[in-house]
Amino acid sequence: MHRTILDLLRTNHAFTAGVVLLAIVIVIALLSFVSPYPPNDAYVVPPDVPPCWAYPLGTNSRGQDVFWQLSVGIRNTLAFGITVAAISRCLALAIGMTAGYAGGMIDRVLMSVNDTFIVIPLFPILVLFYFVMRDRMSWALLALVMACLGWAYDARLIRSVALSLRTREFTETAIFSGMTMPQVLLREHLPFVLPIVFSTTMNNINWSIGMEVTLSVLGFTDINTPTIGVMLYWANQHTAMVAGIWWWIAAPVALVVITFLGLFLLAVSMNEFIDPRSRLNRVRG
Amino acid sequence: MTDTSVLNVRDLRAHYVLSAFGINRSVSAVDTVSFSIGRNEIYGLAGESSSGKTTLIRTIAGAIRPPLRILSGTIEFDFAGKRIAMQAATQNDLAAIRWKHLSYVMQGSMSVLNPVRRVRHSFVDFAHRHIGGTIPDFLNTVRAHIERLDLAPRVLNSYPHELSGGMRQRVAIALATICRPDFIIADEPTTALDVVVQKSVLAMIRSVQREIGSSMLFVTHDLSVHANLTDRLGIMYAGRIVEEAPTAELFRNPLHPYTRHLVASLPRIGVVPPVTTDLAGRPPSLADPPSGCRFHPRCPLAMPICADQPPSLRTVANGHRVACFAVGGAA
Repeated sequence: MHRTILDLLRTNHAFTAGVVLLAIVIVIALLSFVSPYPPNDAYVVPPDVPPCWAYPLGTNSRGQDVFWQLSVGIRNTLAFGITVAAISRCLALAIGMTAGYAGGMIDRVLMSVNDTFIVIPLFPILVLFYFVMRDRMSWALLALVMACLGWAYDARLIRSVALSLRTREFTETAIFSGMTMPQVLLREHLPFVLPIVFSTTMNNINWSIGMEVTLSVLGFTDINTPTIGVMLYWANQHTAMVAGIWWWIAAPVALVVITFLGLFLLAVSMNEFIDPRSRLNRVRG
Repeated sequence: MTDTSVLNVRDLRAHYVLSAFGINRSVSAVDTVSFSIGRNEIYGLAGESSSGKTTLIRTIAGAIRPPLRILSGTIEFDFAGKRIAMQAATQNDLAAIRWKHLSYVMQGSMSVLNPVRRVRHSFVDFAHRHIGGTIPDFLNTVRAHIERLDLAPRVLNSYPHELSGGMRQRVAIALATICRPDFIIADEPTTALDVVVQKSVLAMIRSVQREIGSSMLFVTHDLSVHANLTDRLGIMYAGRIVEEAPTAELFRNPLHPYTRHLVASLPRIGVVPPVTTDLAGRPPSLADPPSGCRFHPRCPLAMPICADQPPSLRTVANGHRVACFAVGGAA
């Protein structure tokens, strides 16, 4: 494990770049725990100060330090993405593997639900949710709704793998040796599916962060929880672009781009970490 | 059918029954098959592709999944006093005998091991439940067992793709024999290997079988493997056993016209092959088999009775049974 990561860092530049970018993002997120100001307090510093030594990313029109705002914002945004990805991965794995393995009626029922979720237009549904829930729309509720909408593509992907695994000899042997369905799925099939899940997890985090930012910028989320999107929302509310407070918009946008890039690079290089066959090709080649 | 037999199959009929849009189709892959296998015996089953070999052993192993169904007949195992009728066995009954008493080397056993798990994990997953005890104890047993099979213990820490074909085959056989089963079913375990590796794997199978004293049902279409390994040999054609005899006897004195052509097709050292006529036609579709004897449309000895009723397996000499009206007098 330890060796593998070192090997990957040495030989795989995409992995190294991804790790470095994500490390920057995570350090910024962790700094939020030592933030000198509570995140929702306004007018704690002089407003509209451009980046300088005292305020490295400047201050905004609400009298907040952009750097510390950013730090809390990226923490919440990352946590949001990870929560959505974790919940939706569990759903996708459970549904995809069960459907592919069990086949027949179970497969048909699960996949018709799955296809329904694939064709539902996500954005209008999420906006609709906001208008229904209004003030009760919290960070956690949004994460849950997004997770429930974001599993369908991967469940189909996982099902296609499970379909082929079901007919392999080692599955037959496992069944013959008396393993039950959950045992076969968890012990024999899960290691096959994990590489796919790992790379789609990164993509799913990207997708949910993008979605959250979009909704927040438009004000369709809980605007009292500081996230990257909420920061941009307030910047727009204070017409930061027109007023020339460019650092208020540039900083969160740059950080989100760094996060996206880091996750994407990790997603593409993750397969070599998980799949022993491609890992060997890479390390020994 | 003696008292020393481990497996008794009587009049087994297993069909693939398919039903779609109100149309029923039935593929009679195994039709009225009867044979028995004694203790310490290696019984070979030969036949061309789609003659029902794999279906027969799946049925015997109790690995039946729809659309395959047993229509009639009995399959009875006798594991040292523990009797079980496979056609009526419940999942719990099967779980109790599998691996411990009955193990199965699947077709394409090169891929019996999960390619993304270390060999050690495959042993734990498949066999540990049948032996019990702690995992380290179990792994010591496994280590001792694979050393007996000329494998280095370090293969346990390898992934299957790091092993050669022959090693993988040995591991698959080690996996099937780790619980010292009374009965081993092997479905084409050496087909993917070259002849040199094949020979050593066959020798290994033989020595393991002798050492643990189990019986074996060995299936392959490769007659030279049968000649090397098996004690008795049954020839299948279109879902039925057409001839059965001790292996040497069957090669020396084949009686059924199909077996005769089969044996005549083998090259022999020092013998200029006589110009034999090929059998016309192909094996019949099992969805719509010929009436009577399933070989009659291609048989050079066909008589009117052959199209009317199926011949039964009759004993013509000591241990030599054949299903043909034209051989050994009228039925």
